[in-house]
Amino acid sequence: MFDNKGQIRIIEAFLAISVMFSVLVLNVPMSSTPDLERQGTLKKLGTQVLIKLDNNGTLGKLIESGNWTALRQAMNLFLPACVFYNLTVYDENMQRVNAQEVSNSNQEGSEAIVIQYLCATQSSDTHFYTIKLQLAWPK
Amino acid sequence: MDKKQSSGQVILIAVLAMALILLSTQIYVFEVHMSTINLDSPSLNDYFFTIKIGSRNVVIGSIANVSGGGSNAVLVANLDKLVAHVNRQNQFGRNTLNYTVEETVSYSSGIWLFWGTDGFGVSSAFAHFTFNLSDREVDADLSYLINVTTTLTVEGAYKTILADEKQVNVTVNLLNEGKPALASQVTLYYRILDRWLAPNASNNYVVTDYGNGTYFASFLANIPSPTVEVSVLAKDQRQILVQANATCSQI
Repeated sequence: MFDNKGQIRIIEAFLAISVMFSVLVLNVPMSSTPDLERQGTLKKLGTQVLIKLDNNGTLGKLIESGNWTALRQAMNLFLPACVFYNLTVYDENMQRVNAQEVSNSNQEGSEAIVIQYLCATQSSDTHFYTIKLQLAWPK
Repeated sequence: MDKKQSSGQVILIAVLAMALILLSTQIYVFEVHMSTINLDSPSLNDYFFTIKIGSRNVVIGSIANVSGGGSNAVLVANLDKLVAHVNRQNQFGRNTLNYTVEETVSYSSGIWLFWGTDGFGVSSAFAHFTFNLSDREVDADLSYLINVTTTLTVEGAYKTILADEKQVNVTVNLLNEGKPALASQVTLYYRILDRWLAPNASNNYVVTDYGNGTYFASFLANIPSPTVEVSVLAKDQRQILVQANATCSQI
């Protein structure tokens, strides 16, 4: 009769290698999760731009007047040229308001984030809009 | 089972233990990094600021509405809508926004409209807010007041040129929250008997904008009455209307 001890050792070693390998494989995606600091910078940048536009009521005025060209120009002015953005405005029923694209690129970026911003207009018949601003660094 | 035979299982258990340690360390580092980004970053402060901006915009819009002839109830109705919208947001945790409108001798339902005859007019809205943000890692409270006040002061002086013809000079000052503010519209009227008339080019009507919220208007008019009364209706850049009447003094 053959001695099976050798095969069992090989199976055990194989199992051990499999466990270690799977841990390493799990670690790789976790350590390659998006760079949170770069995302944090984008988030800060985008929020600051929206605050700047909303603080004096400009953001609400541009949305109410449907002046998407002016809104795009304002975003281009305040955001660094190297940042990709795409802005979508929704009304109180979450229906898209902007007929035109408000963005500076159709390229795919990396480390993309989405900022959700509530905008209340200063007009005498107050309206509320939800703005979703996608930002990304170039790849 | 002898010692030699079980050495494989020991290795396997050791490997499993090492794998668990590696994984848990990695998860811990990841979580710490996440919480550092979320809590230490100024994004929460920005979020609070956006809530305040939204509240302020609603109060401005409401007083613009009321000063243009709308009901005092507009402020409360708009603030109710704001509260409903903010409390639906959940990107940073559970939002709880509450408000009370100012109720004092001057304010009713948070609104104070006083368009006086002594050269002073005010259009104001005032509300108190409390905001709470709660989450697993955050429990933050914020209290703030929003007081939007547009004030108008009018001073007039006149001198008689010939018989009923009078040269009238009017100085107008517009303030937002006590600070000089630009107007988007200033309309002046003078009174003849029961009618209010707006001076025009035939009256040599000239308005000088000093660029600091001060406007100087002068005109010539035939006013038979010994007293000269003027009225100024001004709209600030936020579209808030305010009016004040004044009796001009004789130079």
